[in-house]
Amino acid sequence: MRSVPSLPLVGPFADRLLAFDLPLLDDQRRERVVAFTARRVDGMPSVMRIGVVTIAALVRIAMAVPGGQRVVGTLARRPLPLVGEYARLVRSLGYAYIWETWPDTLPNGGTP
Amino acid sequence: MTAHTGTIQTGTARTGTARDSLTAAQPRLITDVLIIGSGAGGATTAAVLAEAGIDVLVVEEGPWVDQDEVRPFSLEQMDRQYRAGGVTVALGLPSIAYTEGRCAGGGTEVNSGLYFRPPADVVDRWRTEYRINELDADQLDAIAAEVETALSVSTVPGKTTPASELLRDGAIALGWKQNEIPRWMTYPPGGDAVTGARQSMTRTYLPRAFAAGARMVVGCRVDRLLSLGSRALAAEVTYADGSPGTIRCRSVFVCGGAIQSPAILQRSGIRGLVGKSLAVHPTVKLAARFADEVNVPDDVPVHQVKEFAPDLSFGGSASQPGLVALALSDQWATFSSAVTDWRRISVYYAAITSEGRGVVRSLPGLRDPLVTYRLTHRDRELLRSGLSRLALLMLEAGADSVYPSFRGAPCVRNRADLAVMHDRFGASKAGVMTVHLCSTVPLGEDRGRCAADSFGRVHGTSNVWVNDASLLPTAPGVNPQATVMALAIRNARHFVESRGLTS
Repeated sequence: MRSVPSLPLVGPFADRLLAFDLPLLDDQRRERVVAFTARRVDGMPSVMRIGVVTIAALVRIAMAVPGGQRVVGTLARRPLPLVGEYARLVRSLGYAYIWETWPDTLPNGGTP
Repeated sequence: MTAHTGTIQTGTARTGTARDSLTAAQPRLITDVLIIGSGAGGATTAAVLAEAGIDVLVVEEGPWVDQDEVRPFSLEQMDRQYRAGGVTVALGLPSIAYTEGRCAGGGTEVNSGLYFRPPADVVDRWRTEYRINELDADQLDAIAAEVETALSVSTVPGKTTPASELLRDGAIALGWKQNEIPRWMTYPPGGDAVTGARQSMTRTYLPRAFAAGARMVVGCRVDRLLSLGSRALAAEVTYADGSPGTIRCRSVFVCGGAIQSPAILQRSGIRGLVGKSLAVHPTVKLAARFADEVNVPDDVPVHQVKEFAPDLSFGGSASQPGLVALALSDQWATFSSAVTDWRRISVYYAAITSEGRGVVRSLPGLRDPLVTYRLTHRDRELLRSGLSRLALLMLEAGADSVYPSFRGAPCVRNRADLAVMHDRFGASKAGVMTVHLCSTVPLGEDRGRCAADSFGRVHGTSNVWVNDASLLPTAPGVNPQATVMALAIRNARHFVESRGLTS
């Protein structure tokens, strides 16, 4: 089964989620984290990837409608079933990358 | 496909260069015995068979990566040596994250290296409950002694890490049983924990197999076995560059681990009980902050607390700053400020012996299997009590703050906070994970429960064996690698003797 690169679907959500959680993380770093997250989604086992990409597509659609950017804030704050797991996954991958790559990053994403 | 170009360093096993021993990808290969997978089961099987004079070809899906090429427990290591970069999950409520090695040497290259002999009471229970012929705890013990020599199993001659000593001290303060667990590591005289060199399969049993004439191809995924009736004739493979190949063989040992072995069998049309009884040791985690620096990013604690074993064990996890952030991420809103103190933080786990079971199911058209796991009510309660006891242990060890890894967790600073944590915990809110996967092709003569016979030959086949963690009838309650290796060597010797050869 051919797989579609996940960056166009996962990328915008990961970008907004990180900007929401870590407002002082600079754009260049955020871009690298987003790319890492998408790469990891691309490498997931088939079933998991299908599930994540499906949810990512639904969230992407929700983000595209007027006022849809609020979806990210809602998902960042509330542990909703299934969709909340998507936010948890993106956050986990992102944080692991950020603090391994730049261990002295501040909790708001800034640098000391 | 890129051939490995590194040199195998000497452990206690013999010297050898893997580069000279690896075989290039070819559209058609022929062997007497095909071994799929090169981890604890595959590498030992290869060594035993090759040393008995049998023509052996080992195929490994992942690459060959020398240990000094990547930083232990780093994301780079996950990229290069873990399946799917370490992002693998058994679906359920909660889902359980798991990891699988996908490289030459398999999980032995990336795990903690902690060593437990096969528990005699567990082996005895397996023999009677699963009707396993000629399974003898003393025999496994004797094989384990050989393994210990081959892998240089030893305790740390010098100092263990601060995070390990804190775990020990907390247990002592509570009067709980704790031990330093030996590892398959060599140390310089008097060397501290961080000076250890892991004696994994690429440094021990694989060089032994090569020295006895075994061949090995890396970057070679087995898509399925081709059979005529009950007899496997060949394996269809795909190499890392996408090119196909066929390997003809007289016998097959499937040693891909507890997820991939059943998946390969199922893709080959061998189903029955295969993949229906996945067992794991689920774990929950916490991060503990101390007054002094305790974080050692490249190593894990060697002490474990066994006061409540086998139901419950406590130990230390890898604690790279990224993994500390991960441990705090479930309650980021209130825990985030701790991340700047990562040098004073270490991550610990509570592991349980689960009564739940999971399923590995290969689905048509999909490359990877669907993996599911269901925790029982007892498992969930055990995880709750495990995390509470672990948090208590951390307070006794001197932690000023304990950060449990579940949504809605409070920061624990005293015993009153512990009670709040205990009440708020729910397994479905926690980041449950495991690194011990087994039991998907349990061995024994009870056809109602077992997918393979007493020596690993898959029921309903005449020449297909499984020889890895899949065979363990249940999760053993301790790190399973030694049990896997002892069982694999036992089965490989039985195979050799059944051919009239001497092992």
